[in-house]
Amino acid sequence: MKKQVLLIGILVLIVFGLSLVRIYISNQVATSGVMLSQIQQQVDAYKMQNMLLAENLYTKSSLTNIAQEASNEGYVEQKTDFVLNGQAPVAYKQ
Amino acid sequence: MTWRYRFVFLGLVGLFLLVVLRLFYWQVVKASELSLLGQQQYGTTQTIVPQRGEIETSDGFPLAANKISYLVFANPKEIVNKDAETTVLASTLQLDIASVSASLSLDRFWVPIASGIDSGTKQKLEQMNLPGVGFSNQYQRFYPEASMAAQLLGFVGKDSAGNDKGYSGLEGFYDRLLSGKEGLAVEVNDAFGKPILAEMNQSSGETDGANLILSVDRSIQFLVEQKLKDGVEQYGATSGMVGIMDPKTGAILAMAAYPNFDPRDYQDYSDSLYRNPFISDLYEPGSTFKPLVMSAAMDAKLVTPDTKCDNCAGSVSVGGYSLETWDNKYFPNTNMVEVIQHSDNTGMIFVAQKLKVDGMINYLGKFGIGDYTGIDLQGEVSSPLKPENQWYAVDLATTGFGQGISVTPIELLDATAAIANGGVRMEPHVVAAVQDASGNTTQIQPKVLDTPVSAGTAKVMTEIMINAVNKGEASWARLKGYRIAGKTGTASIPVSGHYDPNQTIASFVGFAPADNPKFVMLVILNRPTVSIYGADTAAPIFFDIAKSLLNYYGISPDGN
Repeated sequence: MKKQVLLIGILVLIVFGLSLVRIYISNQVATSGVMLSQIQQQVDAYKMQNMLLAENLYTKSSLTNIAQEASNEGYVEQKTDFVLNGQAPVAYKQ
Repeated sequence: MTWRYRFVFLGLVGLFLLVVLRLFYWQVVKASELSLLGQQQYGTTQTIVPQRGEIETSDGFPLAANKISYLVFANPKEIVNKDAETTVLASTLQLDIASVSASLSLDRFWVPIASGIDSGTKQKLEQMNLPGVGFSNQYQRFYPEASMAAQLLGFVGKDSAGNDKGYSGLEGFYDRLLSGKEGLAVEVNDAFGKPILAEMNQSSGETDGANLILSVDRSIQFLVEQKLKDGVEQYGATSGMVGIMDPKTGAILAMAAYPNFDPRDYQDYSDSLYRNPFISDLYEPGSTFKPLVMSAAMDAKLVTPDTKCDNCAGSVSVGGYSLETWDNKYFPNTNMVEVIQHSDNTGMIFVAQKLKVDGMINYLGKFGIGDYTGIDLQGEVSSPLKPENQWYAVDLATTGFGQGISVTPIELLDATAAIANGGVRMEPHVVAAVQDASGNTTQIQPKVLDTPVSAGTAKVMTEIMINAVNKGEASWARLKGYRIAGKTGTASIPVSGHYDPNQTIASFVGFAPADNPKFVMLVILNRPTVSIYGADTAAPIFFDIAKSLLNYYGISPDGN
């Protein structure tokens, strides 16, 4: 009989203790929404910045842009090629 | 009495089962839907539009990506000084004052002012701190290489519901893959409207679009577009196109058409420019078709390279029509190597007649002529071959030299690639791999479509085409020191039931290096005016591009 009462007591204490823990955690977490909202905004801002930087990078590194820049700088297409066929001696006159 | 008890008992059990079934329906079948409805009452539901997948070249550079832009909207009821705000908005957004004024005069809480605004303009407006003006994010397609490969890519427009939809080319063919799946997010808020941590962002079902990794080489595509544009302008053609393929895998390395359009402002261009002529235009291929017919006849053992043509001494009369050579020069007792070298129409009539109609249809079918190639682009067309009983003698004769038959450029390129690939025809494809939103990549494996001719026949045909390049009418343009197989083409254009002698489609098809081809290329010029012949117009463009490609691949001439 004593054991049963003790067991019930322990169970009641566990239930009560866990309820207190839940209330405490809920109170702690209740105001985190504001912080979370700020973090979310920050993440969105970084994502947006990342996207804008990627856009800029792609535009600058496109062949269309590089060719235009090269043309503005006065570069022209190489029309003649120099090709070595077979093994050339290191020095002809030695 | 017993049956009454049983009746009542069974009635109660039946009712109980009905209740159980109803509960099962609401609590299991409809559970997620009801849960979402409940959440919507104490939170906010947002539709998450997935980001459209990118289209990248083989080096991983995006030809079509996404960029963020902004929609500027206003609440006219919050605006204090309408005239001043109208002027500021119109000048900053470069809009008509009247249209902005009309929008701000509406008796509404929300009116759109301008969409697709860049971040710089948005910042400028934000600094002005205009009352009643707000912004919302938008994603739109961004093309870092501007109009490069425009017809290959297609464009993104709107469907009838106002949602993004891909049209034409890759955007059209892979629209479902690129679009991804729309999702729904619920943000549960507290009494102050702040999000609750435990219930934050319960999103469901949203999947970003998959990225397409193309076999297209960006450097080759850029080079080809430049050379094609220069060529069309130099030879006074109305338009032109170039396709380059790896004959061993069917991978498209470049595909360009000129004139093209800018996919960013596609609405400013004529609808006709949206089509990719390389897969959507039918034309009579002319002499570029001869290698297919010749290799068919050789494969069927009807002719050999040494076979003498016994009707090549003059024009040939078939079915009441007199058929001549393109330059009115005739070579009696010419052999098959010389027939291709001189692009001799009478010689090809001789070959076609040996092949007969059934042989012609059989071999052309194996080369994929008259059928879709299956390329992964929206808009491919095909003109089926006529049934055997509808072929007249003159049809057989003219098909021998590529007139009176319609093909798409991709059909001809793929068929010629079969000769380059030892007689094995591959399915042409543009996408090499698909990368899903989680980063998993699926490679698209090359697919063999048919084996129209044997490896031996392909080898002999290659040598005949090399001879045509070295000794034919386009030999002046050839690259010395390289073994390049090719064939010129000058096809008359049928106009009102007859061929116009002054309007032609000039073309050149070939592959290099002939012994181990890295690429097969088809160049087509539509109605060149400087010269009507392929040897004078398309051939130099072909060799100019081929020279750059051989350099690009690090293949040096052999010195012979």
